[in-house]
Amino acid sequence: MKFNISKEWCLAAAELEEGTIIGAGDLARNSGPQEFAQLTEAPPDESRIAFGQFITLARRRRQLSVEALAEATEVDIGELLAIEQHDSHFAAEPRTVYQLANYFSVSRPRLMELAGLMRPKNSAVVQEAMKFAARSVSVAELTEQEKVVLEGLVTVLTEQNGR
Amino acid sequence: MKKTMTLNLTDAEMQVLEELSAKKDLSKTALLRQALRLYQMVEVRLEKGDKLFFEDDKTKEKAEVMMLS
Amino acid sequence: MTATVTPIFLKNVASGQAINAELLDAVEQQQLIDWVMHWLPVRDKYLHALKTAQAPAAAWPQSAHWNWVSKVVQIQGLLAHRALCVVCENVTQGMMRIDVAGKRCRIASQKGLDLVYVDYLEIAPWNWEGPYFDPPRYRGVGTVLLRAAIETSLAEGFKGRIGLHSLPQSTIFYERCGLTNCGPDPASQWKLPYFEMTPENTQAFLGKGTRQ
Repeated sequence: MKFNISKEWCLAAAELEEGTIIGAGDLARNSGPQEFAQLTEAPPDESRIAFGQFITLARRRRQLSVEALAEATEVDIGELLAIEQHDSHFAAEPRTVYQLANYFSVSRPRLMELAGLMRPKNSAVVQEAMKFAARSVSVAELTEQEKVVLEGLVTVLTEQNGR
Repeated sequence: MKKTMTLNLTDAEMQVLEELSAKKDLSKTALLRQALRLYQMVEVRLEKGDKLFFEDDKTKEKAEVMMLS
Repeated sequence: MTATVTPIFLKNVASGQAINAELLDAVEQQQLIDWVMHWLPVRDKYLHALKTAQAPAAAWPQSAHWNWVSKVVQIQGLLAHRALCVVCENVTQGMMRIDVAGKRCRIASQKGLDLVYVDYLEIAPWNWEGPYFDPPRYRGVGTVLLRAAIETSLAEGFKGRIGLHSLPQSTIFYERCGLTNCGPDPASQWKLPYFEMTPENTQAFLGKGTRQ
């Protein structure tokens, strides 16, 4: 549907918004600190946790077991398990991250950043997105929602400036 | 992209359509569109396994199950 | 499916200048990507800030837990629901989901008549205005989306009637726009205030768009 809205109207009407948060929807809940405790606690080494969860999400998308992924990427299965269990004290080998990036067709530097092997440039956004993606993983198969989120994340990881 | 359809209605059907349109302050076309949208919504819910009830406003009893599928 | 684009304008709050933007009559994958990649990190930053400042409950945005992916997936293929969004500088600035068939008016003067009900409306967190947040980037996203709901209502033959449940922080805005505040809705789980627009007030909103 095409609309016809003048510039003058847009600018005049915009002033009605001053000082407010605009929203509508009956499922809004009374939110507060207790509700968002999960969201507002910054987990330690969140980047590595997010890295592990991205690998889990991407692996499940292809319906692979950890063994099958280890075989396909020629990566040590023990290392893959440590990554997916997001042992934040575990640092992945650069070669491992390289192999995984190639396998999932995502940017090697970006995945390196996420794995904590490279200093992040502008990756706070990527990390936050991974954190969110990880929260939505709860069933064996990906839901439609998870697929959309994963596709979005892969898009970001593969966009041109990420090489 | 709009598609056009010709609709043949009985006298009784046309009368109901006209009465409802007047009551709902809608054109006959708008009313039929609403009917189609609602029909689809009901279908989708029924396919999921949900049931469609009428609730008696006074007693709050679920009075009747609509079986449209 | 590709969305129809309507050119609109927003106000850049910092510069006071008008900026080109687009109103789209669909929410597509790019919007959901923007929601994950751009909205959520800022939202989380603000939630941190609210917690650190021990802000009162009233300051916490009531829509902060919403999942737009599920809201959009729910309505795929349904005639009765539509989603719209505003995009500026290639980033989604606000999204809205509406129901054109499932709800009816409640105000006595129009009781039982069809309306466009706003299922959900949310603007990107960097456009929120309040003492705990950075100054908003753009103003005008909400009014454009509200207008889109009203124009949809007009196109459907509902004479501009719309209805919505307002977030507690948004009631002043809807009152300024000329919607009638029907008070807390006892049927709403959280007793949110229900607002409705009459055809008379529709004309005022469309014609002036200025503070009453």
